[in-house]
Amino acid sequence: MARITAGVGTSHVPAIGAAIDLGKTQEPYWQPVLAGYDWSRNWIRQEKPDVVILVYNDHATAFDMRIIPTFAIGCAESFKPADEGWGPRPVPMVQGHPDLAWHIAQSCILDEFDMTIINEMDVDHGLTVPLSLLFGQPDAWPVKVIPLAVNVVTYPPPSGNRCWMLGEAIRRAVESFPGDLKVQIWGTGGMSHQLQGPRAGLINAAWDNRFLDMMSQDSQRLRAIPHIEYLRETGTEGIEMVMWLIMRGALGPDVRQLHRHYHVPASNTAVGHLVLEPVR
Amino acid sequence: MTADESREDIHAYLAAFDDIPGTTVFTVARARQGYWINQFAMSLIKPENRARWKADEKAYMDEWPLTAEHKAAIQARDYNCLINMGGNIYFLAKIISTDGQNFLHAVSTMTGMSVEAYQAMMLAGGRAPDGVRSIKEGT
Ligand SMILES: [Fe+2]
Repeated sequence: MARITAGVGTSHVPAIGAAIDLGKTQEPYWQPVLAGYDWSRNWIRQEKPDVVILVYNDHATAFDMRIIPTFAIGCAESFKPADEGWGPRPVPMVQGHPDLAWHIAQSCILDEFDMTIINEMDVDHGLTVPLSLLFGQPDAWPVKVIPLAVNVVTYPPPSGNRCWMLGEAIRRAVESFPGDLKVQIWGTGGMSHQLQGPRAGLINAAWDNRFLDMMSQDSQRLRAIPHIEYLRETGTEGIEMVMWLIMRGALGPDVRQLHRHYHVPASNTAVGHLVLEPVR
Repeated sequence: MTADESREDIHAYLAAFDDIPGTTVFTVARARQGYWINQFAMSLIKPENRARWKADEKAYMDEWPLTAEHKAAIQARDYNCLINMGGNIYFLAKIISTDGQNFLHAVSTMTGMSVEAYQAMMLAGGRAPDGVRSIKEGT
């Protein structure tokens, strides 16, 4: 059967993508941001996952105000890196896994998660920056990717608890897929940041680090964090962290932390990164 | 945990959003109010629209159901004002990137700080949450 073998949490700051694309990764500003991914790049080369279920949010790219899906799963053969206003990132096409994606969609709907199914979609920095962070600059991504887009822009986004439960449903879906696939699930976005208003620039390293702690200890408490706490403590855009809970929920009750990285700042944002492994 | 036991009252949920200093939460009410600001900004994701906008901003805005107030704020790149009228930063980011403006610079214009001071604050660890969590509590 297919199995979820690991979870990755990571910020997806667009400026990191630009730094990689423009060859600035050795500059003193970017070096400590990227250094925290060296371990993970080695690890994933050895792990060789077949598929990554990549949980991210669309930042007014594929979806405008006409359609606002809470949970959307990409079932296409491939996804084009989007032009977000300055031309597309010079990164490879993203290859999907339609068989597994459609299976997850069906299984989640039977599990009472009413997924939106997307057969054509460009993917923005929320999806491509994590791929660059873990795989560098290859000619082709060495993994198939199932995009799972979550609305965290228009309120209300899904609750942390709902995200966790979706993760559990995704795990059930993956484990009922015939075929021997090594599947990872990535939760992306965050950590603390606020991109608007007089309070812009907010960073809360203490809160972020507690959140990272709780991903592997006392995880059940994560499910109960209300939206208002993310907003007050981590800034308007810190709400993206609910997406990490889909990843965490999919890993089962207990996990082992394999790697952790935290750095401030990347542009306006705190960067957090975790590699987790389910304990069976 | 079932929905009815745990779910907060919707009015209390929404009211709490107004208690965060210097912060506008993109609620459905704001999304409705700012619908055309955001759809206009979104249109700049297409290169052909960016070219037409750059050639004549006023003419391009006239193609959209924007009010005089919207248009003035867009021309002034007054992002706080646009957000107050229902704009959302991810949509407005299309104006910022079409301008070729660094995103951090654009964000700093909303804080009342100089770009240099904002940049220095970020390098020093960002804006601390103390005192800007709640208007009512002053925490
Ligand atoms: Fe994001």
